[in-house]
This record gives sequence, C-alpha cells and structure tokens, in this order.
Amino acid sequence: MMFFLEKRDLPELLRRAGAFFEIIAPVLINGEPQLVSWRGEDLALSAPNPLLPPTRLFLPPRETLFTYLQESGLYTFEVPEVRNRLIFGLRPCDLRALSLLDRIMLAEPFDELYSKRRRSTAIIALNCTEPDESCFCAQMGAGPEAHEGFDLLLTDLGERYLLETGSPAGIMLARASEELLERGDDVEKRKLMRESRDRIMSARPWLSPERMRSRLREIDWRSLSEECISCGGCSFVCPTCHCFTIADLGLPDGERIRCADSCILSGFHRMASGANPKARAEERLSSWYMEKLEHMPVRTGLLGCVGCGRCDRVCFSGLHRTDIFR
Amino acid sequence: MQVMALDAIETTCVYCGCGCGLYLHVENNKIIAVTPSLKPPARGRLCAKGWLLHGFANHPDRLREPLMRRGDRHVQTSWSEALSFIARSFDEIKRDSGPDALAVLTSAKATNEENYLLMKLCRAALGTNNIDNVARLCHAPTLFALGSSLGSGSMTNPIASLLHSDVIMIIGSNTTEQHPAVALHIMEARRNGARIVAVDPRRTKMAKIADLHLQLRPGTDIALLNAILSIVIREGMIDEEFIRSRTEGFVDILDHIAEYTPEVAERICGVPAGLIHDAAVMYGGAEAAAIVYAMGITQHAHGTDNVQAIVNLALATGNLGRDGSGIYPLRGHQNVQGACDMGALPDYYTGYQKISEFREKFEGAWDVELPASQGMTAVEIMSSAGSEIRGMYISGENPALSYPDSSRIRKSLESLDLLVVSEIFPTETTRMADVVLPIASFAEKYGTVTSTERKVQLIRKAIDPPGNALPEWVVAARLLEIFGISSGYDTSADVMREIAALTPSYGGISHERLERGGIHWPCPTQEHHGTPVLYRDGFPRGRAVFRHVDQRGMEDERFTLIIGRSQYHFHTGSMTRRVCILEREVPEAFVDMNPRDAAALGIRNGTGLILESESGTIRARARLSDDVREGMLFMPFHFRESPANMLTEWQLDRFSKIPALKMVSVSIRREDA
Ligand code: SF4
Ligand code: SF4
Ligand code: SF4
Repeated sequence: MMFFLEKRDLPELLRRAGAFFEIIAPVLINGEPQLVSWRGEDLALSAPNPLLPPTRLFLPPRETLFTYLQESGLYTFEVPEVRNRLIFGLRPCDLRALSLLDRIMLAEPFDELYSKRRRSTAIIALNCTEPDESCFCAQMGAGPEAHEGFDLLLTDLGERYLLETGSPAGIMLARASEELLERGDDVEKRKLMRESRDRIMSARPWLSPERMRSRLREIDWRSLSEECISCGGCSFVCPTCHCFTIADLGLPDGERIRCADSCILSGFHRMASGANPKARAEERLSSWYMEKLEHMPVRTGLLGCVGCGRCDRVCFSGLHRTDIFR
Repeated sequence: MQVMALDAIETTCVYCGCGCGLYLHVENNKIIAVTPSLKPPARGRLCAKGWLLHGFANHPDRLREPLMRRGDRHVQTSWSEALSFIARSFDEIKRDSGPDALAVLTSAKATNEENYLLMKLCRAALGTNNIDNVARLCHAPTLFALGSSLGSGSMTNPIASLLHSDVIMIIGSNTTEQHPAVALHIMEARRNGARIVAVDPRRTKMAKIADLHLQLRPGTDIALLNAILSIVIREGMIDEEFIRSRTEGFVDILDHIAEYTPEVAERICGVPAGLIHDAAVMYGGAEAAAIVYAMGITQHAHGTDNVQAIVNLALATGNLGRDGSGIYPLRGHQNVQGACDMGALPDYYTGYQKISEFREKFEGAWDVELPASQGMTAVEIMSSAGSEIRGMYISGENPALSYPDSSRIRKSLESLDLLVVSEIFPTETTRMADVVLPIASFAEKYGTVTSTERKVQLIRKAIDPPGNALPEWVVAARLLEIFGISSGYDTSADVMREIAALTPSYGGISHERLERGGIHWPCPTQEHHGTPVLYRDGFPRGRAVFRHVDQRGMEDERFTLIIGRSQYHFHTGSMTRRVCILEREVPEAFVDMNPRDAAALGIRNGTGLILESESGTIRARARLSDDVREGMLFMPFHFRESPANMLTEWQLDRFSKIPALKMVSVSIRREDA
C-alpha cells in the first residue's frame, strides 16, 4: 500500500508507534548523527548515515549474554530482557546488510539473542534521495532504494513523504496513523530514485563487483597496507561484519559477554602454537575483501559489501578508497 | 524506560594524550559500542584501544566500595568512615612529623578539576608542597627545557599543524603505536608530499615509511642532533633574521657545535655520516619543519639536555611560531598535560605560577597560609617513603609497576604509616594500601582534560559508577571540608570557575564554552578564542635561549634494553588487560632481539629468557626481529608477570629529576641454560 504523508506529520506518526515500541532514530548529538532512543528531537534525516551501523543494534559490539550468580555451589543465570523496538531511518544499504546477517545468524547454529532482537524489532526504512559522496550502494546492488526487509518505507518527495508498507506490522503501524495518510502513488518516487541511482553510478561508473573481484588478486596489498595500523576500525563499522568473541568476566559471580572481534587484528588469526598464517596486515586486508566479495556470496547468496562507505570514513591510512579497484 | 534507553554521549578518549573525541553508545547503563567523533584532532578515526573502549568500564573487577586494611585483609567500609580515618591519620602524622611527612601523587587519568582539588588539598589542607604527578616519569625534561628556553613547557603547535609541514622529524617516538592520532596526521602530510625523517634505534612503522631512517645507538641523540645542527650551520641553512631578532646565546654555542662533525657523530651514533648529512639538509632546507618526540628523548638521565638539543635545532632554523613548524612533545596520558597545568607539581601552582612568586595570591584566594618551601618530586617522594615521608595519597597510579626499580618501590610503600590509593581497579599498589577509595571512571563523571596539544576538552558522564564509587573531585571536596576548608562545589563546572579565576592561561575556559568544542590554552578571557600556535608574535620570556649540550660518554654495555609500550595496551595494563580482545592481541611480554645476536646465544623465537640488571631479574620470551639493531633489546612494561621496571635504575636527570626509565644495561641468558 502507498500513502502520502505530510512532512510535519511524521513526528506524530512516530509518537503513535511509540505506544508499541521504543523508537530508535538518528538525531544530531553535538552536531553528529547518532542512533538513539527518540524523545521527540528533530530527526537527522539529511545528515550522513551514522557511523554505528544499525546492524549493531542486533549484535552489539559488547553485550551481556547472561549473568551468573553463585550461591552455595549452585549457579543461577539471568538472561537480559529484549524489548520491542522500532528503528526509524534505516538506509537501504544497511537493510541489505541486515538480510545478510539474518542468513548467517539465523542459520544453524541459530543465534538465540540475535533472533529475539530481530523478532521484536520493527523497521521503517528510508530511501536515499541525497546520497553521500562516499556511497556506492548502487554498484553493489544494495541501494539507494529498498525493495524488501522493511515494515514501512519512506521516500522524501521534497514536499511530503511517500510511505509504503512492507509487512503486516507495517500495515498496522500505518493504520494507527490512518487519518494522517492519503492514498498515494510512486510516480514521483520512481523518478527520484532513478536520479539518485544515476548520481551514484556516475560518480564511479567503472565500479562493479566483477571489477572488484578481478582486481583482488592484482592489487599490491603490501604497499597499500604500509600505513595500516591495524586499528580494526574498518571492520568495527562495517554493517556486514559479525565476528565475535566470548569471555566470562568475574568469579564467582559475573557475566558472560560477547564482543565484536575483527579479522583485521593479527591475534584473531594466531593459533595456539603461536604460529600466525596472517601475521601481516596486507594478508589480513586482502582476505577481508576476499571474504566480502567471494566467500560471503557463496555462503549467503548476498554480496558482503553493501557500498555504505563507512570503512573509508574511519580508515587511518585512507586505503579503503574504492579507486584501488579501478 | 529512561535507564534502558539507547543513548550516545560524546566524550574524550581516556588513554593517550592525543585526545580523540568519541561517542559512547550506552544502553541499560552499559557501554555497548564506541564510534569516533568527526571533530579534530582525529576526525573520525580511533586506534584499537579507542574502538574497544567499551571493554573495561563495566568490568566486574571494578572497585565498588571503600576498603580499609584490617590485618592482612581489606574490609568494606563506608565513605564517611574511610574519609574521617584518612583525615585523622594525616593529622596525626602532621602533628608528629610535620606536614612535609605527607605527600600526594595525582593522576594523569583524572580530570583537571580533580587534579586541582587534590592540589588544593595537598597545599591548603595538608600544608605541604610534596605533590607531583606521573609527568615526572615522562615529560619533566620537556617542562624544564622548553619552559626555560621558550617560556612554555608544552607542544608549540596543534596536531593539525603537521598537515602544513614540509619535513617532519620523528625522534624517540613510536608514533603509530603510541600516539596514533598524531601518526594519522604525519601519514596524511606524507601522502600530500611532506618528507619524513625517523630517528630511532628501532625500525618502527614510522621508520619503515620514512624517507630517511637514522638508526642510532640508544642514548646518542645529542651527538646526532648536534651534528645535524652543525651541518645546518655550515650549509648556511640557518634563519639569521630569526636568530637575531628573537633569540639569544647562539654565538656561544657555535664553537662547541662545530666539534660535532658528521664523522664524530657517526662514530658515536653508528649512523653513516652521509645519512646524517642528508637528514640535516632535508630538515634545514624545509620551509616549515616540525620535530616530533616522545619518551625516547625524555626518559634518560640526560633527558633535559636531549630536549634542549631539539630546541637549539628548531631555534637555529626559525622553525617556531608558524604553521607546520614547531616542537611536538607527545604526551602519554589523556590528561598529563592538565595535571601539570593544574599545579600538581612541587614548585608550581596552576598555570605554572611559581610558588615562590604567587604564594600570596593563592593564600588570599583560599584564605589559608600556604607552605613556602618547594616540595619533593615523585621519585624523591618514593625514595623517602617510609623515612621522611610517612603518609601518602596516590590517585589512580600504579607506581608498584611503573616506577624504576620496582622492588624497591614496593618496600617503600609497605613501610608507610598511611597509604591511601584511589583507583578504579585493584592493582599492585592498591594491594599495599591502608585505605582504597573506589573512583568513578572517565565514563562516569563530568570534567575537563587537556590533551597533548594544550586543548582543553570535556569528558561527559555516560553511565553511573559501579556500587558506591565516586568521582574523585567529590572525594577531594569532601576531604577539604573535613579539614575545615570550605569548598561549596556542587558540580565540576564550579571547580573550573575557581581554576579560571586563579589561572591566567585558563581564564576564559568554562564548561559552558567547552560544550561547543575544545579550546587551546592560553585562553585568558571569555572572548579569547584560544591559542593553537604558540610564539607567533614572540616568546613570553622575551628572547628564546640557546644552551649548548654535550653528548655524555657511553659505556660499553652488554645489551641495551629499551623499554616501551605496545599499541594494544596502556601502561600497567589495569584497563587494557581487562579488555579481552586487546589482551588477546598481545597476551604477554616479549623481548625483541636481533636474529644475529640470538643465533650467537642459541636463542630462538619464543625461547624463555632471564634478563638481569643491577636492580632486578625478570623473565620473558624472545621474539626475533630485524627491527632492533644488534646489541639492543626491546620490551614493553605492561605486564606484571614480566615487570620490565624491576630492571631500571634510580638515575635521575639533574634538572628535571626524571628517572632513566627508557633504557638499562642488562645481561641475558636462556631460561633453560
Ligand atoms: S566493506 Fe566498507 S563499504 Fe562495504 S559494507 Fe563494509 S564498511 Fe560498507
Ligand atoms: S581502518 Fe584502515 S588503518 Fe584501521 S585496520 Fe582498517 S585498513 Fe587498517
Ligand atoms: S589515539 Fe589515543 S586518544 Fe586516540 S583512540 Fe587511541 S588511545 Fe585514544
């Protein structure tokens, strides 16, 4: 179903959804867009995509899996509560990343906490009519327009929004604001999305997954990585990265935590013997791209890079420029 | 609802002195993620420690309640009991042995407000100037040499100024590992055409990407710098106008400098004369050249002379007071600059106001009589612990692992009548304390910190402290009250108001203004925008001074062990070793050794080694690496299992009293031999 929504009515629509969900939305905090619980602040919808990928709300970089408490030799466990949430303003690239994570985390062995969070979260996605210069989602087939995986989808038509439903939950959310909506069509949206896609494509007309794959083995990773300091940043902001490690903190009481790990760090690859097959940064970087461009597609059917451009935004050495694939 | 909410709070990284801005993403009173802030200095980047900053604040090992010693054990107590016990015991010691039997060591991890109040507590309530901070172990020589020659003992230019340099000389700094945000700027400058000269006994990452790497023998920096200066003079690359109008003492050093020919330096430093020449021409020929240095320069018994050699070179070439030029001493801790600015020093009040000149001003402001005699430095305090010093308050430091000759330190600390330690985690030092105070971490309080580039920035509260832990400024304010010095601070912003009123260089700084971004001091008034580049229009002391310094003789040593750090850990590891991924990256100490030395001694990668010096013996595994030259070893000091500082000695620099922590002569043998 398609509706038009006046811009001034968006906060009201969200407020009504707030009766069922905790609303998470991008707002400016000290001038920078961040995903936070929304309390009616102005929404930062024209700012660049926040650095913390929204996929991390389902698999936080540090999370408590359970706490344990010992009493006379017996342990009791407490599992954290998961709440109903609505993420507003998720971008198409991140939405694609989320489908990829689903295919990994919800396959056997099934991840319970991830699945719980996934099931209790509704998503209002936002198509990108004003792509950032670092975006190359169109080349990766992940954006700038979302086609699935959302409950509601919003497109900024300038004067008003186009609101599309994508699931029964989305229809329910739309019903709750029925009188704010007016039947609509996607004529204007289709035009805007075509323009947006053209803009992204023409910024890097030569870029494509095939091009990247064929360049993988030609790139001089050694000289490219000489300034890499192995900070791990590129993988900590990548919406498709999902490796983690688990640790028990505290004795006799404490918590089992899970935290984001990264194959960019050398210790990730070190074996118990001390031998390390990927001791050099260049080996880790090339295998990072190999994973995204070759292995993930085989495992999940989806490309491991969605073109969000975050890795480039945080890199010390500036090596994640797409021109390396040129 | 409110507690569960997802929030993002902008604050400043707690680890190194770069002062990177970051957002803590918080849910349910826990830090779940960290992302960089897009503002300067780091503009969207962090090092691994920063990215993993969600790892320690919520750790269950955190100290939650005040503890008091009962026999061999620590038992839980209340704040009021702990604080009144501390006040009573300090009073008793003061009555029996006088105020100078007490001492305070403040923390470079604590905020400016906290350092200020502990400084006030020490001087106004305890009545002694025996106060110091960890800067004594890292940049006391900088304070002394830059202060006496130029007027201010701190970085002359902001980090971003490096982007305007044509040549950057890095000396005694493993910048990529220890000051990543500075390295970021150096690498960016390099990509835009700047040339890099690395001076380091080790082949560090910077050395690998540098245009020139001068791999000198450890401890021979003065010979090298003097030789560079002598070449610059001979080649006519000095800035005569600058020397004439803005400096003094140049002619006095000319004769001495001439003795340091490249050939003499080659003999002393082991660096080919031609390479020294190339480096000199590169630095001397630059339009704007910067010198970046760190502990490799300062942590020597001739640390002050080392810094002076750098000053001489920068002055002779006029590389001060302009964008892209300058001297960059890199500060190790988040707030070691601030701790010094706040007067946590035995001879200064806030803003480097000498106690000999400004005592009346502070007596008037605080309405008490203040001690007149200069206090002891950190290392002197430690060495008199148990004799002249009987009671000590240590805030957030771990001298039992970080000071030279650590087995001696442990003995001194044990023989104190009263040792109070405030900390966030149990450490080797809290174990010896009579009273342990649980303190709020950087994520659990408001305040300001001053980064290596003299930039005062806010830290903001993101989560609640664990248990009954309190921000240290609250603790210090309560102690002041107990000692009858009214404080009346409701927030740390109130403390900053008092600091600003008493400190000209912080005069225009307030929390309200900092909400809109950091400010470089000096910032004398509310209207002033701060001073990123010092000495643009002259030196505060009139003319900058040249002072000739000589290379000291080097004894022939067995192995020279260089002590430093790893990128993945911070100091004694009380925070980073609790972050599982950082601990996984570098889980134990290692000794880097040149493969040729190793072959001669039958040592292989991973062989257990025993290292022995005059002061102590430790063990660690060998790691073979071409990055160290023959005769040299390198090891980090983060690991209590292999405490490198058990090996170091109490050799002090005569000006700044910094101990020679950087290197020590050791013998090695295989563990199984
Ligand atoms: S590889 Fe980079 S551009 Fe691609 S999805 Fe990950 S962070 Fe985004
Ligand atoms: S962000 Fe850049 S510097 Fe950091 S690990 Fe990735 S490639 Fe290396
Ligand atoms: S460079 Fe320093 S300030 Fe920046 S993230 Fe790393 S430790 Fe923190």
